[in-house]
Amino acid sequence: MTDKPDSYEAAVERLEEIIDRLDSGQAGLRETLELCKEGRELVTFCAAELDAVGAGLKELRLDELAEKLDSSARAES
Amino acid sequence: MGEAKPTQERLDTGPELPGPFAVGRYARKLEEEMRRRARVSLIGEVTGLSKSRTQAYFELRDQEGAVPCAIWLNELEKLELPEGGLRDGAEVVIGGGPDYYRGSGQSSPGFSFRATHIRLAGEGDLLARLDALRKQLRAEGLFELQGQLARPVLPRTIGVVTAEAGAARRDLLAGLQRRGWEGTVIWAFAPVQDRRAAPAITAAIQDLAARPQVEAIVVTRGGGSLADLWAFCDETLCRTVAMLRVPVVAAVGHERDTTLIDDVAAVACSTPTHAAEAAVPLDCGAARLSLERCTTALRRAAEGAVAARARHLGALARGPARALRRERLFLNQKTREVRAASERGLGGRHALQSRVALVLRRAARRAAGPELAGRREALRRAEIAFRAHEPERTLERGYALAEGPGGEPLTSAEAARAERDISLRFADGSLDVKPAAADDDR
Repeated sequence: MTDKPDSYEAAVERLEEIIDRLDSGQAGLRETLELCKEGRELVTFCAAELDAVGAGLKELRLDELAEKLDSSARAES
Repeated sequence: MGEAKPTQERLDTGPELPGPFAVGRYARKLEEEMRRRARVSLIGEVTGLSKSRTQAYFELRDQEGAVPCAIWLNELEKLELPEGGLRDGAEVVIGGGPDYYRGSGQSSPGFSFRATHIRLAGEGDLLARLDALRKQLRAEGLFELQGQLARPVLPRTIGVVTAEAGAARRDLLAGLQRRGWEGTVIWAFAPVQDRRAAPAITAAIQDLAARPQVEAIVVTRGGGSLADLWAFCDETLCRTVAMLRVPVVAAVGHERDTTLIDDVAAVACSTPTHAAEAAVPLDCGAARLSLERCTTALRRAAEGAVAARARHLGALARGPARALRRERLFLNQKTREVRAASERGLGGRHALQSRVALVLRRAARRAAGPELAGRREALRRAEIAFRAHEPERTLERGYALAEGPGGEPLTSAEAARAERDISLRFADGSLDVKPAAADDDR
């Protein structure tokens, strides 16, 4: 894999392509090993994305965020 | 310039127009004109309601304009509207016609729509207005914009516009939990009841969309009458949603309720629970299981590829040795066969040749037998005859042979005289002599 995927869905799409290619049995040894390496990197990326939304729901209130912004802006001025 | 000024004054004062009339008479004529105009019914929102001792005043307003209205209180009472029915923000249908109060020397004139009937707008009235607005927004292409936005399958942060105390909030959270999603929710609480809520909802949506971390916005409330949900048919709100660059998931009312925000939003859902699934399209629990399967598939593919090729290479490596062994066995077998064949062949040939030789000898003996004896006898006789003519036989009888120095026979006296030395060969040996003639000459 040369670049980090843009999104979870892009990573999964590429991962499915890789698995399909491997399942086809058409890939040679070098390609197979490269695809497996890329696939493992994609799995790691996807797992990190899932972990980012798996550590407990966080609830914020827009009005409080706005107040914080206002107070920090006042503090700066 | 000096000549232009009088012309301008003539145009301004309009000396060619009828009049001048007394303004009071004109005001009365205007009043009569207005009151003769057709009576109609109007629909709009009541704003600025106030009452005097005799009349109620308000403006009837919608997006495109407003008309000042008035109704006599005694007529209003006869209509028996529900308590608080005529209030600011109420959608009403009024019947009446234009009126002009001509004023007096002390009181100011004024235009108003003189209402004689007022009723609260029913679902049919709202649906008609909604239909017109829907056609307009569709014609402007506002229904397609949100649908073209990319929706992330796994957003980290979503914004939600809903009522703080509503059941929709609880249902949405339950939906998110069912997805296994535990990201960040930014709540933008706003009133969600009737038309007056529209500006607050619009502002909340805009504020959420202004936050870069918000990847999707859910707008939701429970079911209700169309009048209850009317804020979500507000033109400004719907235009705002349509133009946002953040996808909006609308879940307003129940399945049978169709508000205008459903048309402009990226996704329209029937319940807050469905809205949670639309805002987070990925089932996180299933996705984790799927990733585990992918990991297993990749590991098997890698290990399998190496193992399969190792087996293949092993087979290839064993191939030459096996081939050699096979060839060696083949050769040994062939050698044995050849040896056996040659032994069989030589024995046969030897016997055959012996038989042939025997046959030939017999044939030769048969062929040569009678002649051979005769030829031997003839040969013996020829040998005897030949021996009788040999010089040695003559010498044995006492003759001598004269020979020259070279051993050549001298057969005449003349030839002997010509030689210096001659040899006489007898049967028992030779004698060298010199011819006398030769000595005389010397």
